Amino acid sequence: MKLINHTLTLLSAISFVLISLWAILFYSQILKQVKTTIDEGLSDYKIVVLDKLKDDSLIVEQSTFKDNNYLIKRVDEAFALQIRDIYKDTLVYSNLKNKTYQTRLLTTAFVASNGKYYKMKLISHEINKPKLIKKIATLLFWLYLLLFASTILVNNFVLKKTWGPFYQLLHYLNKFRLDKGAVPDNPKTNIQEFLMLNDSVKNLVKTNVDIFNNQKQFIENVSHELQTPLAIGINKLELFVGDEDLSKGQIQKIGAIIDTFRRLSGLNKSLLLFSKIENRQYISKEQIYFDDIFRKIIHDFSDYTEYQDIKIEYQKEDSLVFKMNKDLAVILVMNLVKNAIFHNRRGGEVLVRLFSSSFTVENTSVESVELDDKLFERFAKNSTDKNSTGLGLAIVRAIVDVSGLELLYSFNGKHVFEVSEKR
Amino acid sequence: MKILVIEDEPEMKELIRKFLQDEGYIVEEAGTFSSGLDKIVSYDYDCILLDIMLPDGNGLALLQEVKSLQKADSVIIISAKDSLDDKLKGFDLGADDYLTKPFHLTELNARIKSVIRRRMPADNRLLELENVKISIEEREALVNDKPITLNRKEFDILVFLMMNKNRITSKSAIAENIWGDYIDQSDDFDFIYSQIKNLRKKLRNSSAMIDIEVVYGMGYKLIEK
Repeated sequence: MKLINHTLTLLSAISFVLISLWAILFYSQILKQVKTTIDEGLSDYKIVVLDKLKDDSLIVEQSTFKDNNYLIKRVDEAFALQIRDIYKDTLVYSNLKNKTYQTRLLTTAFVASNGKYYKMKLISHEINKPKLIKKIATLLFWLYLLLFASTILVNNFVLKKTWGPFYQLLHYLNKFRLDKGAVPDNPKTNIQEFLMLNDSVKNLVKTNVDIFNNQKQFIENVSHELQTPLAIGINKLELFVGDEDLSKGQIQKIGAIIDTFRRLSGLNKSLLLFSKIENRQYISKEQIYFDDIFRKIIHDFSDYTEYQDIKIEYQKEDSLVFKMNKDLAVILVMNLVKNAIFHNRRGGEVLVRLFSSSFTVENTSVESVELDDKLFERFAKNSTDKNSTGLGLAIVRAIVDVSGLELLYSFNGKHVFEVSEKR
Repeated sequence: MKILVIEDEPEMKELIRKFLQDEGYIVEEAGTFSSGLDKIVSYDYDCILLDIMLPDGNGLALLQEVKSLQKADSVIIISAKDSLDDKLKGFDLGADDYLTKPFHLTELNARIKSVIRRRMPADNRLLELENVKISIEEREALVNDKPITLNRKEFDILVFLMMNKNRITSKSAIAENIWGDYIDQSDDFDFIYSQIKNLRKKLRNSSAMIDIEVVYGMGYKLIEK
């Protein structure tokens, strides 16, 4: 639920409860006031009636309210004297209206000019409670709607404006990538909490970007520092292997150690290359004619592919020219072609196709199953291959990422790698 | 033949010195920029191996010094940095070659021989062993002064092995020398064997007095019969 809807729901609920409580209170107060007013009216009416009844002949005992709003009944003195004026609610049946209705009833007693005692009941006009309730409810309903509408307005105009910096930050965090490491903009606000939030995020980002960069630099330095001892190790063994006293078995063992060192060195070189790509050390860009690169690299591998009986087919549908770093373009093509060749099988095929804004490299392989997304992750090694460093395709991905290209993998019986210009 | 090794890593320096002495060179060493400069100024060398990352200065500045003194010394840059920028800068300043660490000693050997050979008078540039003569410029191999037909790869392999005669040359060193760095991640160098096999056959058929020996688990060794 959006923040704005959340506050809206909450405010609506609260105002609904408050207005409902207010309605009950308001109704009872109004009703009380109405009754008081009616009672005062009855009291006045009593005086008018008594004044009229000074003429004894007009005193007629009745058992029901007929045309008059009063009825009179003769009572004895003792009873009359203990009657005090009492106001109460009562229901009266009216022939005229043919219905029972609610009204106020005043019970009183008086002594007529002839000295007789009478009890008198007076009724007021109708009190229409349902009508009153309906009226109040309608009014309060409109009030509620008005409040609801103003809540929406407040939300949209005030809250949105107030929470602006928050949404701005949210947008920034959504798009944030550690390797890009852009610091958020300063919000246009003087709300202290938002300023603090922004500062906190800024510090957090800065610290993490620093750590990330240090890590990258560290990897690069480590790889670099490792080169020399590796070189010494390999060369010492090479020197040692020339020793006349060594047996064939010993030479073979030394050969195995050299191979291991060489693999280590290859891995190290790949890591170094990786760091350099990610540290954006390949800056210069030029127009790259992929046709030239493909032709050269396919030719370079031809001895190996011939030996392995792998058929490389090159189809140039169109010429692909793209502006990027030359070294990276060569490494990109080389790694993809190399991947297609070395993960192939004897007598397999590699198909390279060049289009106007993309190229594909397809290859058959020993394992004819679709590979998962981990393919491009570092050290995503094919377990059957002890010589692969598991970095080749990760380097491809890194190059594609920094060069504004896109990389797609699909499987159609062959493994298909497609590199295209970012649309 | 005198070679100066300017390298700050003592073990590396020692290793190269031993190897080159073994090859019959007179070797002098320098571990710093200043001692390297002293030697360059005072003596002449056939070849200088120059590490460009020195503790007290950039090796490229030493290279500039060599050129400004109008010395004829060949210079091979040895660097742990596989940077195209440095490579181009080095060649611009007049370096004869650029080698990235780690390298095979056999590769270093071949590079040194190549740069020294290029300084020789033209009629002295032939690579000779027993009854085999190779002219690298003409890409011609002669056995008993009769040419033998070799394809490009076979010829390159023969040159590389001749330069490293009587030395065990690893398959990976051959692969890197002939096919370039890109092949380095493949451990499957068997495809080299087919080329070597043909080369051996051709050498034998032309009764060359050299042969290529297979050193199991390591590589190959060119020997005199």
